[in-house]
Amino acid sequence: MKKVIIVRYAELFLKGKNKGYFERMFVMNMEKSLKGVKHEIRRVSGRYLVEGFEEDQAEEVLSRLQKVFGTHTLSVALVVPTNAENIFEAAKELCKENGTFKVDTHRVDKSFPQSSMEFSAWLGGQLLALHPNLRVDVHKPDFIINVDIRENGVTMVFSDFIQGAGGMPVGTAGKGLLLISGGIDSPVAGHMIAKRGMKIECLHFHSYPYTNLQAKEKVEDLAKIIASYNGGDIVMHCVSVTHIQETIHKNCTEDYMITLLRRFMMRIAERVAKEVGAQCLITGESLGQVASQTVEGMTSSNAVIEDLPVLRPLCGFDKNEIIERSRAIGTYETSILPYEDCCTVFLPKFPVTKPKMKDVLAEEAKLDVDALIEEAMLTYETIEL
Amino acid sequence: MIYFDNAATTKPSANALSKAAVYLTEQYFNPSAMYREGFELHKKLKETREKLLSFVADPSLFELIFTSCGTESDNTAIFSSARRGNAVTTQGEHAAVQNSFSELKMRGIETRFASLKRDGSVDEEHLLSLVDEKTSLVSIIHVNNETGAINDVNAIAKKVKVKNPRAIVHVDGVQAFGKLPYRLSKDVDFYALSAHKIGGVKGTGALIKKKSLHLNPYLIGGGQENGLRSGTENLFGIQTLFFAAEEKYQDRERKYREMTEKKAILLSRLSDQFVPIANGSPYIASFAVKGVRGEILLHKVNDLGLIIGTGSACSSNAKKRYSRVILSCGYDEKAADGVIRLSFTDDTTAEEMEQAADILREQAEILKEELK
Repeated sequence: MKKVIIVRYAELFLKGKNKGYFERMFVMNMEKSLKGVKHEIRRVSGRYLVEGFEEDQAEEVLSRLQKVFGTHTLSVALVVPTNAENIFEAAKELCKENGTFKVDTHRVDKSFPQSSMEFSAWLGGQLLALHPNLRVDVHKPDFIINVDIRENGVTMVFSDFIQGAGGMPVGTAGKGLLLISGGIDSPVAGHMIAKRGMKIECLHFHSYPYTNLQAKEKVEDLAKIIASYNGGDIVMHCVSVTHIQETIHKNCTEDYMITLLRRFMMRIAERVAKEVGAQCLITGESLGQVASQTVEGMTSSNAVIEDLPVLRPLCGFDKNEIIERSRAIGTYETSILPYEDCCTVFLPKFPVTKPKMKDVLAEEAKLDVDALIEEAMLTYETIEL
Repeated sequence: MIYFDNAATTKPSANALSKAAVYLTEQYFNPSAMYREGFELHKKLKETREKLLSFVADPSLFELIFTSCGTESDNTAIFSSARRGNAVTTQGEHAAVQNSFSELKMRGIETRFASLKRDGSVDEEHLLSLVDEKTSLVSIIHVNNETGAINDVNAIAKKVKVKNPRAIVHVDGVQAFGKLPYRLSKDVDFYALSAHKIGGVKGTGALIKKKSLHLNPYLIGGGQENGLRSGTENLFGIQTLFFAAEEKYQDRERKYREMTEKKAILLSRLSDQFVPIANGSPYIASFAVKGVRGEILLHKVNDLGLIIGTGSACSSNAKKRYSRVILSCGYDEKAADGVIRLSFTDDTTAEEMEQAADILREQAEILKEELK
């Protein structure tokens, strides 16, 4: 029996005249996510059918499509030429042997001899006769056999509605630059913003030789996982902040290391964002999580941004909520690998938690900010993943 | 490039590779096969086994089983021997033994760990005090892979047998084989070695065992290696191991002496920022570098063409960051943070020692300044 996957999309129906654009992006993202797998995507009355894949690839196709933003629900359906006997055969495949169920028939082809109600009753009766332990419950059934009798002489039979990724097709809400560290938070932040349709590029700061090559590889691995939610690909930019850290360490009060470093990172990030056409910065900051993520800390780092908005989608989340999301999107296991994003040799024992702007500026005045940024930009590299 | 991480792996010997190449290209037959071509290889394998064994042991007392690596050799010996009572080892073991002992514990065998002395070798008295009539296995590393500390395994084995003649003694000889002038005494029951640490290729190891001893095979199948280690023999790897070992055991004592002299050159050129951790094998030099994190120094000198190893990782997770072996020697975490390991081969030259010492001394000084 032929298998197809029915894809129903989420918020796209809210769109008016733009709907065509949103749908095109949605199809393009589905195509990209299925790269390397034989398939066809067809649009059929307000939803999509993915078909033409090998039967043993159904699971893989399904799991890839589940990650495409814009997807509301998916179903794996059996397709048979329309007649009662064929439909019964397909329903038998999906039907469980016990529990409660109901049959839901949707009849688009009005030339089909029975009405929807009549056919549901007939099919339910057949299945009950087959499995004596089954019972009908039309209000709260354990499972539903859905029968969709289409106009072109075929019928689709399916049981489960599988939850899709929700959100909007990636690429419909512009492009953002995610500051990615290698920890648990930033990949989750990237995922949340990608979900609302924004194409993500990543920016990673490293401190080689104070951090190692494995740490950078780990960030690449994380970026690759985000890529599967990001329309199948992702660009990662890397800048070394080693010399900046060394210079701060040498010239400034130890407690201001992180505060000052973050200001450098934000300046570099905005510069990179403008160069690559990103319209905002995205960080994984969560209010009060660590010393630098207080509102004072954010004020200090935000003050160096000239134009772009900084999105901090995790601000209202607890750590365990972030961990939960991280597990759900599949980045957690990679995030907790023991490589440091920013070597602990430069970590102050007592970082300032509420930096005063006056003091920050006084510390920063000890540094040649522009020259250090220019120098850091010489280490700029881009990797396409 | 100066390669000073030979305890991790060595560059395969060109001579051994070229002599063994024929077993990849032309002599590819299965040594278990009945036709002449296969049988010839079977005979070759037998001959190689005897010759390799004779470098370190008496072939009338011992036999040699080819395996896939040192870890497999260790695992085979340990899981075959420790089947009841308790098993004793040291705190200075390679992960292949250390983690096998964790597994033994899970299987209900009591495990006991002898402490180390400051120089990295095992505290013999403590070890012997752990051995009793219920001890089924004593496993000792010959040369520690992190510190280079040497254990006098023949002497320890003898004392173990006096206390309990039924205890099986296994020696992890991976960092000693092909380096230390040594022969197995009759008190040693198992001895593990690995090919790629002495100029062979990765994927080949061996386990030497007392002939009279029963061994439960770890891999079961076609009955190769006398039924003790099934799986089609890796003749190329085995031949490469043999030819590499043949080179190593030629003039072993002279080469060992020369290595000791070359290591002394390195030590004399380093500043007192470098505190030697053990004075054991001349093939390994381990230091706690003051005021520096080992891994950062590793990266710095890497960029200057010097490849070294380290005992610590740049992690804030203390469990993963500090070497358990270094801590067991009695060093504190601060010292353990700065541990680096240099390891050599007979091909290492005095000039390389000088150059490496200069690079290390200078970079450690710069780093100490930067991090002050």
